[in-house]
Amino acid sequence: MAFSGPIWLTLQLAGLTTLILLVIATPIAWWLANTRSRLKPAIEALTALPLVLPPTVLGFYLLILMSPDRPLGGLWVRLTGEALTFSFSGLVVASLFYSMPFAVQPLQGAFQSVGRGMMEAAATLGASRWDAFRTVALPLARRGVLTAAVLSFAHTIGEFGVVLMVGGNIPGRTRVISIEIYSAVETLDYDTAHALSAGLLVFSFVVLTAVYLMNQRAVRAGV
Amino acid sequence: MSDVLAFDIRVAFAGFALEAAAEVPLSGITALSGPSGSGKTTLLRVIAGLERHARGRVTFAGQDWTGLPPAARGIGYVFQDARLFPHLNVAQNLEYGARRRGTPRAQVGAVIEALDLRPLLHRAPATLSGGEARRVALGRALASGPRILLMDEPLTGLDRARKADLMPYIARAVAGFDVPAVYVTHSAGEISYLADRTLSIEAGRLTGWHPPAPRLLGRVVGTAPGQIDLALGDLRLWLAGEGHAGETWAIPLGQDYLLSFERPGTSNAALSLQARVLQAVPGSGTCDVLIAGQHLSLPWHRSDGAVPDAGAPLWLSVPKIAARPVQGEADDSDGA
Repeated sequence: MAFSGPIWLTLQLAGLTTLILLVIATPIAWWLANTRSRLKPAIEALTALPLVLPPTVLGFYLLILMSPDRPLGGLWVRLTGEALTFSFSGLVVASLFYSMPFAVQPLQGAFQSVGRGMMEAAATLGASRWDAFRTVALPLARRGVLTAAVLSFAHTIGEFGVVLMVGGNIPGRTRVISIEIYSAVETLDYDTAHALSAGLLVFSFVVLTAVYLMNQRAVRAGV
Repeated sequence: MSDVLAFDIRVAFAGFALEAAAEVPLSGITALSGPSGSGKTTLLRVIAGLERHARGRVTFAGQDWTGLPPAARGIGYVFQDARLFPHLNVAQNLEYGARRRGTPRAQVGAVIEALDLRPLLHRAPATLSGGEARRVALGRALASGPRILLMDEPLTGLDRARKADLMPYIARAVAGFDVPAVYVTHSAGEISYLADRTLSIEAGRLTGWHPPAPRLLGRVVGTAPGQIDLALGDLRLWLAGEGHAGETWAIPLGQDYLLSFERPGTSNAALSLQARVLQAVPGSGTCDVLIAGQHLSLPWHRSDGAVPDAGAPLWLSVPKIAARPVQGEADDSDGA
């Protein structure tokens, strides 16, 4: 198929972003769920910013940060020999920021509902903090972990503005589905645009239905 | 003396401060009693290491616990709300602490038998009744092989009948597994049945030690299924209970016993014993008596202030008997 390239690239981007995001968001969400620090509202706001900022604003600042003549972008060039901007790696970094709230918020909610009490019970039974996290908090928060993974994946698949700002439109490197649709419409290739748009529509609907179904079942089961 | 749990601690929250120092003997059940909001749960949490803002020292049998995380203290904690792990079944809940502390399988099995947990092993915590959940929570703490049991109002929220069912399990847990306990409660009934001594607390300050509520001590000389043969001085009684020969059992007199100058004759009392007055000082509110070779100091309140003469015969009638095992040779001293 002519557009299998963008689909494969999008799946790679969303998969990688979701995996890395779960690793990064879990400690942030755990800290937010348990801290009494005064910094909490500020950190919460920071992780939620991508929800309200126009993707172009986020993309603009990320583009500047990643630029090879800035410290962060320069460091990346020295480490890997290639620039972050207009590269697949740059897209992954941008997607991590862009989808952060979709991972942090379900995890934070799940960890909050586990509560301090369960962790205390585990501690009195001889479990270290890491042990208790692994064997009590994480299994009890499994629904939040699954929701975080599904939403991060779906949200990354649908991103457009940030990708365009940071990655541009390079076939095989940064041209993801949403960009491909945009290009197709610009060149009046409505067949391609239709096929990809309908695909995304159905995919998003199925994913969201699955998440809500999961939540409903869990509520009924009293988990 | 190193066989004590010693603490000298301070902890302050907004609008509440707790300052407490005492040495708790490591034998039998020590009740920590006081009104709601007096700081008894907070004190228990400090002993367990669950209050991070506590200052001061806690030592257990000479070992310094200050700064030691809860996991390293070797405690068994029974929370007011059971706090069973909902994603694990009863058997897995019991194994959680046992595996981490390396409790021998035989001991876990003994806990399961002692607390009648076998029929519950494959149940999910959400399907347990309130009383069953408390029993599993006690079993889970006990199966972790603790050096001390810390129990925070483990019977709160249960009805009278359920409490009466559960109290013998608690007594058996402490006596049968030879583990001392600190038991937070504000229930006079629980103190009277369970406590070998009581430490009272009010408004964040310890206010004193009290001896156990009046009780008779006997030794088990024989057993039958579900029954024990208790020797009480020259008297022998068959009582309901699971025990072993050689154990010391207490018969708490409870709050509804009757003292009479005349032989009560045929009555519906479960037990009537002849006693002799040793001493009764007018206005003291107590009467020292000798019953079955044991010296008991019983409350004596009469509106006319009259007290019996020393040497006078007296009869004690107990409406019902709820006997329980006592850990080791639990002393009857005030422990202070």
